[in-house]
Amino acid sequence: MSPLNIRTYAAVALALPLSISLVACGGGTPTDGDSADATPTDANADLNELSHEELVARAEEEGTVTVYSFTSRIAAVEEAFEEQYPNIDLIGHDISSTEQITRLKAEADSGAETADVAYISDAPVVITELIDQGILHNYVPPRVEDVLPEEYRDPMLANRLSTKVLMYNEEAHPQGSPITNLWQLTDEEWNGRVVMVDPAVRGDYLDLMTEIVRQSDAMAQAYQDHYGSEIELDDDVENAGEQFIKNLYANGLVLVDDTDSVNQAVGAKGQDNPPVGFTSYSDRRDNEEEGWALQASLGTAPSPGITFPAYVSLVDGAAHPAAARLAIDFLMGDDSATGGPGYEPFYVPGDYPTRTDIEAPADAAPLDELAAWDIDPEATAEIRSDVADFLLTL
Amino acid sequence: MTTTQQIPVAPETPPSRRRLTRVTRLATTPTVLMAAGAIAVLAILVIAPLLGLINTTLTADNREAWTDVFASRLSRNLLWSPLANSLMMGLATAVLSTVIGGFLAWVVVMTRIPGRGIIGLLATIPFALPSFALALAWESVFRNDLIGGSQGILANLGVPVPDWLAWGPVPIALTLTAHYFSLSFMLIAAALASVNGDLLEAAELTGASTLRTARQIALPVVAPAMVSGALLAFAEGVSNFVTPALLGLPVRYHTLSTRLYGSITTGDYARGYVLSLVLIVVAAMIMFASSRVTGSRRSFATITGKGGRARGVTLGPWAWPVALVSWVIVAATTILPGLVLVASSLTRRTNDFTSGLTLHYWIGDSDPAIAQGQRGVLVNPQIGEATWNTVLLGICVAVGAGILGLMISYVITRSQAPRWLKGTMSLLSFVPFLIPGIALGAAFIAQFGAPIGPFPSLYGTFAILVLAGVAATIPFAVRSATSALSQVSRDIEESAVMAGAGLGRRMRSIIAPLTARGLFTGAVLVFVQMVRDLSLVVLLVTPAMPVLAVMTYQYSSENFTQMANAVTVIIAAISVAATIIARRFEGQSQPWKNT
Repeated sequence: MSPLNIRTYAAVALALPLSISLVACGGGTPTDGDSADATPTDANADLNELSHEELVARAEEEGTVTVYSFTSRIAAVEEAFEEQYPNIDLIGHDISSTEQITRLKAEADSGAETADVAYISDAPVVITELIDQGILHNYVPPRVEDVLPEEYRDPMLANRLSTKVLMYNEEAHPQGSPITNLWQLTDEEWNGRVVMVDPAVRGDYLDLMTEIVRQSDAMAQAYQDHYGSEIELDDDVENAGEQFIKNLYANGLVLVDDTDSVNQAVGAKGQDNPPVGFTSYSDRRDNEEEGWALQASLGTAPSPGITFPAYVSLVDGAAHPAAARLAIDFLMGDDSATGGPGYEPFYVPGDYPTRTDIEAPADAAPLDELAAWDIDPEATAEIRSDVADFLLTL
Repeated sequence: MTTTQQIPVAPETPPSRRRLTRVTRLATTPTVLMAAGAIAVLAILVIAPLLGLINTTLTADNREAWTDVFASRLSRNLLWSPLANSLMMGLATAVLSTVIGGFLAWVVVMTRIPGRGIIGLLATIPFALPSFALALAWESVFRNDLIGGSQGILANLGVPVPDWLAWGPVPIALTLTAHYFSLSFMLIAAALASVNGDLLEAAELTGASTLRTARQIALPVVAPAMVSGALLAFAEGVSNFVTPALLGLPVRYHTLSTRLYGSITTGDYARGYVLSLVLIVVAAMIMFASSRVTGSRRSFATITGKGGRARGVTLGPWAWPVALVSWVIVAATTILPGLVLVASSLTRRTNDFTSGLTLHYWIGDSDPAIAQGQRGVLVNPQIGEATWNTVLLGICVAVGAGILGLMISYVITRSQAPRWLKGTMSLLSFVPFLIPGIALGAAFIAQFGAPIGPFPSLYGTFAILVLAGVAATIPFAVRSATSALSQVSRDIEESAVMAGAGLGRRMRSIIAPLTARGLFTGAVLVFVQMVRDLSLVVLLVTPAMPVLAVMTYQYSSENFTQMANAVTVIIAAISVAATIIARRFEGQSQPWKNT
């Protein structure tokens, strides 16, 4: 046997058992092993009781904190954080919520190094999977407990609300929204002129559809207001919400693949007969830059859409538990009327701070005037997959 | 050719002993070792993630995903009609790509059309462009008023564009073809270039027409390359998400890939995985069918050790029409989308070509009023770092996948391994295509996230990116190595065996040099694929190790479309540069430059 052959043989001899062991460990499925039962340890529980100064001291000892964030605004947070706490390095990863969920699960399963903090949307999945499986833990900084409504600190802390609401083109409709009742969208007048992202490919739009189904009583009432008669359900739908969605789809609803396409279609100036569509209220901030005339459809009965929370949470097994808590504390803003540097990147008209002592940004309707439905993540999670299935039959 | 030829046996050994020696020798023959090694690597990189996928769909909570997909009121819209659409798109892409790619390869390699060198270069570029650039190019011409907002050039000129031309299967099939015909072109051109000039000359001397020469000599020789190209185009056509999402959703035209992506993003992983398993099974059947076709083509080995340049075919009066068609094809698929991509990175307002142009997104300083104060991409140090990482990753993966691809394809086409084993390997080397990138990424975290024995956790390292990259690009590497290998005559290798050359020597002195062009083509494909791939790396990278594809993704998810497009231009430029450099390396051996 030549030296080359011996080398080859050795390499293979080494590779085979390795590969077998890899196959054995590799095909893992997410199981609720240790992490499910894991509760914050006593040491961690103690951390929750620390005063702010003690927390900063502990965090500075740790030196760094890693944050997964579903928005790239984490870069601005990083700058502000490091200015306030020069001895702590905040490492921000911009990862979409869907990918965060996959990544956090995979990391928990394999025991790989993970983040300290997750700034994450997609509330129904977060609540029913990540919290239940013990991958994320709730930490509410003591100083904000009194200024947060309970739904925004339990089961998970949220720092702001985002929206998916009906928007129209204010250049074409200077008198206000042409849509005063959602059922108008199912009428011939709006055939082929309602745009939204396909709820089959985007979770937040699925949440919107789910909420419409959950609010079936309000939808039935709105039907009566619009048509003057009580709603009669088709055989293949179970409630007024499903009937609305079915009629909407049958009325030439246009589905696209991302919100920018909706904004462009609805908002572009110079259109004679622009469509209306569901998108984020806060995208109105791009009106000037992009030449749009997007405006939220205020006063639409029963509601123009939904608001949903952006969660700030502790990751199980965080390597920097004190710094993690400090970062969460920072993301909740300071006690000034605008939330200070920590909240500044999120202080955008059309997004709503959860803290009652931070004033909602001007240039957008106050939350109660917008009258959007605030989703209940747990209730949404319960029927979300049924709604997704229903959509698949249309 | 049998194994005994490779193992000279001493005549005086008694029969029983001889038998034993033979078995031992056989087991330690380098070829067998190589086969074992290739299988081991496939086990780690392909089988393990695949088992993970299957396992996930079989856990108690997820089992019902199978009935949801196959036997429920959802089946029609979730599986059957998207499956039919996917097959149609895959098939259309495969056929059109082979026709167009084959035509251009013939024009570039076999004819003397003016500018064929440039056509040859341009024809390799569409693959390096991102899918959305081609879809965007289509929209910029054909978009009608279905969605609202701005319209395409034709509509603005007052030409009514019907929905079937603006949205749905027709534009999807055409844009996918515009994207993937370069695969067929590269593989077929490499094969055609190796057609023995003597054969063609002989055909001409005996009075065969140009067409007849092409059909009876060139076509059989390039058949393996055509099948490889068609298979790749099919798989890409079936698994592409962006194009059907952009052009199909507005008319609710769903394919398996949009359903699969949708299931995963709305949290229904099990369903998504079931759909991807369906894709794998369907592809397996198509592989099987195609292997029957190529199986009978083994005898058309063209590199027989003798020289001989391919000679240019004179087209006479047909020269100009053929040249015109070729130019129109490459202009529509390379220059137009290229321009659209560059222009869209310069527009003041997202994709609004009338809003005026600006270089701000390229070289502007931080301006809080624009894109939340993001700096222009060329003055952002993170982009420089990402560019370096991207190129390094591309090269590492191209080299790794290239070597592995040659090993696997050598075992498949040359070894005496049992038929079923070769078939399995051939199928396995195709599977990574059909595992959604994000699922493959998650499987790699599961596999390499924790330390294994003496090996440390690879999570967050460059190594895991390379491993995942190699896994994801095995299909390219194996396909291009197979089409390259199939042209090398076994005679040469057998002569070498007779002369006592071992496997290593044969690889070094015969296989590698003779297949260099094909392997190089494959390496460039892998490089390009890796440089622009997003879905695979998105879970595996860390901010300490940014790559360009992830930067585009981050920009576009924040609606900084111009910056996303600017980075995409950089990605395309790197890919195109790689293609050109590769051409330079091939240099001397390009027949169409020397004749």
